[in-house]
Amino acid sequence: MKKIAILIGLVLLLYVLQTSFLPLFAIHGVSPDLMLLLTVSFAFLRGVREGALMGFAVGLLQDLSTGTFLGVNAFTRLLIGLVCGSFSDRVFKEQFFLPIMASVAATIANYFILVLLMLLLGYRFDLVHHMGYILIPMLIYQLAFAYPVHRLAYELDKKLSEKYEG
Amino acid sequence: MGNRVRQDKNNRRRFWALVFVVVSLFCIIFFAARGRFQVPVSSQAVSLVLSPFQSAFGWVSGELRGITDSIWDVVTVHEQNKMLRNEVAQLRVQNLQASEYAAENARLRALLDYKQAASQFDLVAARVIGRESATWSSMIVINRGTMDGIQNNMPVVTEKGLVGHVVEAGPNSSKVQLILDPRSSVGTLIQRPDSRVAGIVEGDMDNPTMPRMVNIPKNADVDEGDMIVTSGFGGIYPKGLAVGIVSSLKNDAGGLLKIAVLEPAVDFQRLEDVMVIVASREAPPEPFVTPQQTPGTETDPAAEQRAAEEAAGAEDDSTQTENEQ
Repeated sequence: MKKIAILIGLVLLLYVLQTSFLPLFAIHGVSPDLMLLLTVSFAFLRGVREGALMGFAVGLLQDLSTGTFLGVNAFTRLLIGLVCGSFSDRVFKEQFFLPIMASVAATIANYFILVLLMLLLGYRFDLVHHMGYILIPMLIYQLAFAYPVHRLAYELDKKLSEKYEG
Repeated sequence: MGNRVRQDKNNRRRFWALVFVVVSLFCIIFFAARGRFQVPVSSQAVSLVLSPFQSAFGWVSGELRGITDSIWDVVTVHEQNKMLRNEVAQLRVQNLQASEYAAENARLRALLDYKQAASQFDLVAARVIGRESATWSSMIVINRGTMDGIQNNMPVVTEKGLVGHVVEAGPNSSKVQLILDPRSSVGTLIQRPDSRVAGIVEGDMDNPTMPRMVNIPKNADVDEGDMIVTSGFGGIYPKGLAVGIVSSLKNDAGGLLKIAVLEPAVDFQRLEDVMVIVASREAPPEPFVTPQQTPGTETDPAAEQRAAEEAAGAEDDSTQTENEQ
């Protein structure tokens, strides 16, 4: 129970940081997406079930609190949590390189799922131009923030599993 | 053996549950985007819980920005002062002309018995406490809600121009859809008196920092540098709020219409404090008064003296009328 409370605290802290502090450093209105990074790290550390649940929960939080297209974040984050989680039993937890690279791949995947959804919703735009304008700053930010977020999730996971699982 | 069968069955059930969740999410996205699905209470509950934290962080980042801004101000103050003096001189000339026009306008309006169109707004100041990082839509969260008299569909402005409108007012915070959001559309006009072409300003997905004005006929009189203001059509936004300046023109894919890309009047990258228009009513325009000149920057001592004399004269007049009464 306490473990869940700590996790909720972490999610809220990162989320508030993401929405009220990091936009100060935005390029073209793009700022780092800590929730996505957290989903990837969590999925790699805890496996497919908790990864997917985490992705869904943070996605829903984002959808409800900022009023974007409802459900898009919950949808993409659920899928990313599922995919990353299914790799979790094949990598060592102490390995840091793979989750960080995976978060870059997840950002790209997230971007293209959203592109697809927007196209299906009937919005038209110039994809190549949009990618240069949005995706590249996004990737740079995600790469810079992937390590700290993963480190945080890793330490927390280690501490929590020591404390509550023996 | 039996164990394995059960595990398989479990796995299959889990798989179908997952498919169900994914498909229903997919449906929710489409229903919500078409406006056929509203989240009942949950969304407000989330904002209620989050807004105090967001306020705190918003305050800290506001302070940080304030400090860096003041350092920058101190560094550039000399150069800026020179430019401002120059601008003041130009503005005073314009001001004189404007008061001339205002007098003429009042006279002509009286002549035509035209209804007073100038409106006065009741504003509620609010601080931006949250901003979405997603790039597909543009929303901000402000620290005022229904407890401060904010309701859905109220326009949000800064002193520079239009920001957007409230889409969801919670008890102590509200979500504001910016005019950069692709779902937003604002009825607008070209301000230039010999053009007055109407169009709709929408958010553009290609360039999330610059909205575009669509539905402009191909032969319409629109130039780069034209000021765009709200037209008052549609009922949400009052007439005459600055929206932006035309920065470039291009042809629509269909070939019949033009699209104007706008430089918004408001700097959306640095949006800190906004005002919500809670009520607007028609009122006579305030009398034209020249503002006091800052000591040491007087560019036109004669005008200053005249203004002072006029003010004194007006006071005398009013005392006289009082005495007469």
